Amino acid sequence: MTRFRIDLQDLLFGLFLVAIAAGTLVATRNLTVGHAADMGPGYMPRVVALTLMGFGLFFTGRGLWHARRGIAAVQVRPLLAILASVGVFALTAERLGLAIASVVTVILASFATREGRLVETVAFAVLLAGAAVLLFVKLLGLPIPIWPR
Amino acid sequence: MDLFSNLLMGLSTALELNNLLFCLIGVVIGTAIGVLPGIGPIPTVALLLPFTFGLPPPSAMIMLAGIFYGAQYGGSTTAILVNVPGETSSVVTCIDGHEMAKQGRAGTALAIAAIASFFAGTMATIVIAALSVPLSILALKFTAVEYFSLLVLGLIAAVVLAHGSVAKSLAMVLLGLLLGLVGIDVSSGVARMTFGIAALSDGLDFVPIAMGLFGLGEIIANLERAAERRVVGQSIRSLIPSRADLRAAFPAIVRGTALGSVLGVLPGGGAALPPFSSYALEKKVARDPSRFGKGAIEGVAGPEAANNAGAQTSFIPLLTLGIPANALMALMIGALMMQGIQPGPQIMTEQPKLVWGVIASMWVGNLMLLVINLPLIGLWVSMLKIPYRLLFPAIVLFCCIGTYGIANSLFNVWLMMGCALIGYFFIKIGVEPAPLLLGLVLGPQLEENFRRAMLIADGDFTVFLSRPISAVILGVVAILLLAMLSPEIVRTRKEALAE
Repeated sequence: MTRFRIDLQDLLFGLFLVAIAAGTLVATRNLTVGHAADMGPGYMPRVVALTLMGFGLFFTGRGLWHARRGIAAVQVRPLLAILASVGVFALTAERLGLAIASVVTVILASFATREGRLVETVAFAVLLAGAAVLLFVKLLGLPIPIWPR
Repeated sequence: MDLFSNLLMGLSTALELNNLLFCLIGVVIGTAIGVLPGIGPIPTVALLLPFTFGLPPPSAMIMLAGIFYGAQYGGSTTAILVNVPGETSSVVTCIDGHEMAKQGRAGTALAIAAIASFFAGTMATIVIAALSVPLSILALKFTAVEYFSLLVLGLIAAVVLAHGSVAKSLAMVLLGLLLGLVGIDVSSGVARMTFGIAALSDGLDFVPIAMGLFGLGEIIANLERAAERRVVGQSIRSLIPSRADLRAAFPAIVRGTALGSVLGVLPGGGAALPPFSSYALEKKVARDPSRFGKGAIEGVAGPEAANNAGAQTSFIPLLTLGIPANALMALMIGALMMQGIQPGPQIMTEQPKLVWGVIASMWVGNLMLLVINLPLIGLWVSMLKIPYRLLFPAIVLFCCIGTYGIANSLFNVWLMMGCALIGYFFIKIGVEPAPLLLGLVLGPQLEENFRRAMLIADGDFTVFLSRPISAVILGVVAILLLAMLSPEIVRTRKEALAE
């Protein structure tokens, strides 16, 4: 890995934790905290969030201080393809039914690599969709429509 | 004898026809995912969880346990034949196992691996049975105070003994705890951090989180590496090891079993630590250490035995105390809770059929593995020929359907998508996601016991130190954490855990 002036791994993790902790503190600002003998719903979230904030600041500081490593370059293709295929499944599963949703999900996921061949992918997607319908709906009784309603 | 009557009861549960069937399904699936690199037992167990709802609790646990130790078997097959560890736990087996295969002794290596695993599995079953009774008696003395301390010890030890930076893992545990707090607060009925989303009021389901972090995040990261998998054609001539082989391997098997059993019980031990330690031990006691790396049979026998023994004894803290030793055991706890069984020290007395049934099923399952692995080896090897470009879309699809299946909720699918992104982010910045899962599953229990303890003690924090059992447990926690500050121990730990 390339040498950076900052430790990007630590820095990113630290900032991530600080963001989560800050978000929690904002989201729980209206909850009663109470005291140790009679804790309100806000007690634990606040304690955990504050500790997490401490960790976050520590990593952020360490990341800025040390000069060590960056992170490997992000490849957009697999990331987007996998996330999109899951998203498409969520959008189509209940409306268009499992059969169509499965075919679309598998084809979209295949775009994550350049190795795929279209004919093979489509044939495989149809096969998998059939298997999924048989296994999950017919055999395991998952209550999900197979075809568009 | 109490032990024997318990084991007999367990055996009678495990030998019920439908339980035998679920055990078989579990070990077959386990072997399959063990053989296939790129999908591990964690997403698989998460995937199958929703479909264990309808089963009686013993059947569900027997099947899920089968997946776990089945995967250890399968992982070693590919390690020996194609030098690809199916699981992290079989990385060591690659070294001498594949070397043996190259010398035309693949059959011997496979047979020794299977025999070692079976022997270790049998011994570990006995260890579990023997240890669970005294542990559960001790556990009955526990109140909320002791249980809280024990949960803390479980979490801290899992962090200290597992891979990766301790500070980062601690932060991940806290992150998991925080996620576990989402939902309606049990004692006040107030919604916490639900952002007005109705699906969140029951809390976050851990299945989509586990699948996103471990399954999908991993796939995205795998696809970035240039995927190159050679499949080596290996003819297996003779599966029966010679007498000399057996004689050389047996002491290593015994040592590996002992080492694995001890390390498996420790939180965080799980699957990765025992084989590495065993390999190091074998190399140290060998008369001629230079043989290692060139096809030494002890280098296969020891780690394989340690691996399986460890995989099984990691069930001890789960079954007796309700504390998971690693992320996979955390999933098992989740499975129990979904079945309406509260994990904890009372589980042994309240659910003896379940606990002893699962223990006895491990032995039965190991016997099945011996049968399905050796004669059917060709079948498993041919599974390796499935190209990854077909494999991963199928995994993505099954993850989607499985996640949907837990609560028939599309929200969970979206949640999994978010976690996939976060899982990928964690891999990029080199953070282990396993502690997060532990925190998430144990979070609600930790909070409940903490609040109950505080209620008992009227808000006095010293109660954790004034009760003897709790004080001893917290003392161990303090020692573990202080040890991490010593540079010498940190260095040894790095070496011991380095792959």
